Amino acid sequence: MVTPVHIAILGAGPGGYVAAIRAAQLGARVTVVERQALGGVCLNWGCIPSKTLLSVIELGDKLKKADEFGLVLSAPARYDLPRMIARKNRVVAGLVKGIATLFKTWNIEVVEGRGEILDAKTLMVTGPNGAHRKVEAEAIIIATGSSWPHIAQFPIDGTQIITSKEALDLEVVPGRMVILGGGVEGCECATLLSGLGTAITLVELQSRVLPLEDEEVSMLMARELKKRSVDVRTGTTITNVERVSNGLAIRLADDTVVEADVLLISIGRGFHSQGIGLDRVGVALGRRGEVLVNERMETTVAGVYAIGDVVGKAMLAHVASAQGKVAVENILGHPTQINYEVVPAGIFTLPEVGRVGLTEQQARERAQAAGQHPDQSVTVGRFRYAGLGKAHAVGDTIGLFKVIADADTDKILGVHIVGAHAADLVHEAALAMQVGATATQVAGMIHAHPTLSEGLVEAVEDVSSMAIHQTRKKVGT
Amino acid sequence: MIPSDLRYHHEHEWVRLNGKQATIGISHFAQDALGDIVFLDLPKVGTVVKAGGQIGEVESTKTTSTIYSPVSGTVANINANLKDHPEVVNSDPYGKGWIAVIELMTPTEVDQLMTAAQYEAFLASQKKG
Repeated sequence: MVTPVHIAILGAGPGGYVAAIRAAQLGARVTVVERQALGGVCLNWGCIPSKTLLSVIELGDKLKKADEFGLVLSAPARYDLPRMIARKNRVVAGLVKGIATLFKTWNIEVVEGRGEILDAKTLMVTGPNGAHRKVEAEAIIIATGSSWPHIAQFPIDGTQIITSKEALDLEVVPGRMVILGGGVEGCECATLLSGLGTAITLVELQSRVLPLEDEEVSMLMARELKKRSVDVRTGTTITNVERVSNGLAIRLADDTVVEADVLLISIGRGFHSQGIGLDRVGVALGRRGEVLVNERMETTVAGVYAIGDVVGKAMLAHVASAQGKVAVENILGHPTQINYEVVPAGIFTLPEVGRVGLTEQQARERAQAAGQHPDQSVTVGRFRYAGLGKAHAVGDTIGLFKVIADADTDKILGVHIVGAHAADLVHEAALAMQVGATATQVAGMIHAHPTLSEGLVEAVEDVSSMAIHQTRKKVGT
Repeated sequence: MIPSDLRYHHEHEWVRLNGKQATIGISHFAQDALGDIVFLDLPKVGTVVKAGGQIGEVESTKTTSTIYSPVSGTVANINANLKDHPEVVNSDPYGKGWIAVIELMTPTEVDQLMTAAQYEAFLASQKKG
């Protein structure tokens, strides 16, 4: 019998644990070193907890329409935060246990403790009780992730100045909260806490919330946040935080002062690339402290790979998982490369956002760079949820499908969806892009009625002004 | 259906003049075309607006449309009740569904807007078109 290749993985987040299972499937012996919990930030303090809690706000939103829908409630619904948190903890515990079970079936060894690299083939693990243990392997994968924000100006104390980690474990609903950062996390936390009844001020330095999304998505999101009574302040930042008798006095760059009980810092995550022995073996870091890797997920040191947030590409759980598979496949003799062209992503605000590919602005810039005229080479189609029978049937009429296509090749360049189930719906577009389908091909596929998926067909057809349920003439004010 | 004491803008807003102030809203025709109104994005008090310029947005279950200011001036008041009850714009567009009060820069500007009879004729011509 051939001795299996031994792979040691530092970190059991969505990068590390997926890499571990894929490696075991391909015949490797795997040891995973984890200092906290299987599943990492995503499962324990990020994606899953926030979605679990936001699902309750979504249900609460639905119940607000109960009377209109003909559902009679004997009393108005109210949120019980401790019970919401308890359910979140049960969901997380169940999923963490699920990973442990998967690991067991694949004979993946877990070593609890803080690991660091001694040399390119050895990890030293310090266990919770201080005991040391060496793990020797043919290849090492760094999957240590990213750190919570630590900005000197806003020291996290866990009660008055917090990160999203604490925001997802609150015991009482704060009366007033300022959120610094109107990106994905900031908008999700604003949705969650405003839903619970906190008065939110959302501060974003860029000129719009969700600054990396398509501009129309940002505009729609700003309006939806306003509907939730979120005070959105863009183009400004916090210059000073002062502790006052009844909380915090937070001064913005425009010299206005916002009083709050809690300040949530949603900017400035760092990389977990320090204190794990990378300098000892000569693994090169980038300017931001990220571990430099190539398309095969190899670092600058042979046999040492890195995946996930710590490599500083798209900081998304599913990208980490994809990178993890690429790393182990390369280690185990199945050469492959990572490709970031088609990376769908969801933002779990209410309504949701789903996106894949280029924004309209990016598509136009790319056309310009290629010497084409953006007005002629980039075409856009839109369709509103309000035009869908299913949207009216279920009462989710807010939202938009937006398709960006290449006028010459008819290829889909990007799709942006805001509305119910947007993060799920965007995958049809992602598949179309992955296989290089044209807008015409997508439009030609029969879509079931009544579904929200019909919105994509209509938006794709609207690229050539042929959407069926689009009024011909503008009405209204 | 079209109150005779108001003046009208071709984008279907109405104006009720009261000294140097004007209350504005959207017409019955506009609310009917929009369908069930679910949200109004209104300006902040103190915002300076120009006649024909955007003053806000109105969202219905069918569409989102721009609200244009029929007059120039400064926003003196907004109808805060619309935040929780946007549907009153549908049920009472010329009354409880008022949108904002504008402190007028030039009150005579209102004279340039359509009278009720002119607006009625305008709507009739739109239907034919």
